[in-house]
Amino acid sequence: MARSRWFWRIAFLAIPLLLYLVIVVGPLLYSFFFSLTDWNGFSFDFNFVGLENFSKIFVDPLFGNAIKNTIIWMAAALTLPTLGGLALALALNSRMRGARIYKSLFYLPICLSLAVVGQIWIWIYQPRWGLLNITLDSLGLVDVSRAWLASPETALIAVIVAWAWQQTGLAMVIFLAGLTSVPTELLEAAQIDGANQRQSLLRVVIPLLQPASVVVIALAVINSLKSFDIVYIMTGGGPFHSSDTLAMMMYNESFKKYFMGYGSAISVVLFLIAVVLIAFYFRQVRRLENLYD
Amino acid sequence: MTSSTPALKTVQDEAQERRSNRLALAALYVTLTIIVILYSLPGLGVIISSFKTTQEISQGGLWSAPAQINFDNYDEAWNNGNVRTYVVNSFLVTIPATLLSILVGILSGYVFSKLPFRGSNALFIFVVAGMFFPPQIVLIPLFRLFNSVGLYDTLWPLIIVHTAFGLPICTLLMRNFFSAIPAALRDAAVVDGANEGQVLLRVMLPISLPALAVLGTLQFTWIWNDFLWPLIFTQSDSMRTVMVGLVTLKGQYSVAWGVQGAMAVIASIPTLVIFIFFQRYFIQGMTLGAVKG
Repeated sequence: MARSRWFWRIAFLAIPLLLYLVIVVGPLLYSFFFSLTDWNGFSFDFNFVGLENFSKIFVDPLFGNAIKNTIIWMAAALTLPTLGGLALALALNSRMRGARIYKSLFYLPICLSLAVVGQIWIWIYQPRWGLLNITLDSLGLVDVSRAWLASPETALIAVIVAWAWQQTGLAMVIFLAGLTSVPTELLEAAQIDGANQRQSLLRVVIPLLQPASVVVIALAVINSLKSFDIVYIMTGGGPFHSSDTLAMMMYNESFKKYFMGYGSAISVVLFLIAVVLIAFYFRQVRRLENLYD
Repeated sequence: MTSSTPALKTVQDEAQERRSNRLALAALYVTLTIIVILYSLPGLGVIISSFKTTQEISQGGLWSAPAQINFDNYDEAWNNGNVRTYVVNSFLVTIPATLLSILVGILSGYVFSKLPFRGSNALFIFVVAGMFFPPQIVLIPLFRLFNSVGLYDTLWPLIIVHTAFGLPICTLLMRNFFSAIPAALRDAAVVDGANEGQVLLRVMLPISLPALAVLGTLQFTWIWNDFLWPLIFTQSDSMRTVMVGLVTLKGQYSVAWGVQGAMAVIASIPTLVIFIFFQRYFIQGMTLGAVKG
């Protein structure tokens, strides 16, 4: 009996785990290995250079710049789509008629590819006939309108706004799921105790949304680390690296300049940052589970 | 004691409250409608312009209504031999990778849920954690791996990588789903002499259709929309998928904005269809994948 159980465990797990080890875990370890080399991407051979790539990281102004932009991205991710998603979820959670249609329209962008989202927003920012500049011009704000994606001051934030447009729907979905777990008895009790709408929102609903908030915040931070597709499509990290994120810089160093060793070192740093964030997230989730079980 | 205490409410107060409630609801509708229109504008602009001639766009901008609905852009996009190749390639990658990732998820999810062993929980977390890491950390080793086995610039790396990277989410959802199935169901089948393979195939899978639908919609959408892997692992036009092709062809149609719009719409149709018909599963997957993480 016990033997046949082990037979099935191994039979079922063999292929999934083998795949995971060969395609995910192994390559991850190999990234550490390549970060100690000067591999150029073409030739089969490479030399060991020790920690040279890592010492380069700390003096490379482009790396500091990418870190800064990634932090800006995270900060924006924690505000724009998170608060927007929360506000929409609260507004749409009421038993208003037609809420379903509104919800669908807000989460429709989630099913679009970031390649398409980027394309859509390139047109919004198009200098001559883009929606943004047309609107600004018609409001008499001709001085404000500009080539948004070609100006170093605005390129990063313009890309983030496009990304946030899609992420808002995702945050809304998670907050809405969290709201369904708020018991109506609790709200009625608060009302009977004389709480007005604002009070019951701040004291009852928002605290009960804590698990959903942890998820939304974690997703925002982790997805910020992954920010690549939309940057690649809208600006490629430019102009003058003004919209370079860590993931974008890693790609450029590795697959544009063919510094695969240096690119690996950047990916190792990316991995370490992700580990810290993910560990923090798992701890929060576990804490919440203990709280509610 | 203030007059807001419910017990002291007069009839007049209540009538006033009802009136102000109705006013607040109307304000909510108006605000939400304005927001939803603004929110949909970016997408609408692309759809509208895909029906306009290039001349119309450069004169009136993207945002004016077309003089007449005109399918020339779709004709042009579809009859560009490459677009059809891209779409076919996307299906050739997405369908097998979706099915395979769900299959490995079923196998490992079943073991983690119904055949746990010492350390299986840690192994489960180890597998699920893969979901959160930026793919950049395995880019270079995988690039080298597929180059050295001669699979670079074929569709195989895409299928393999999507299956492996789908394992975490598929394992997570299937384990949670199987865990909700009463153990008695499995025990009864085992008493009747069924082995684990038969239990999974004949008892578990037939009642897993909702979970399979959730995973099917999620995986299809993610894989179809993916941009990074085909960018790294393919090079020739005959191997590009539609999202990368979209960006590649932008150069060819740099001023034919209507054609670009039509291509973006064509590339999004499969996921839009999925979203419209399987919205319930799609949203369920989004929240389950996020909240239970």
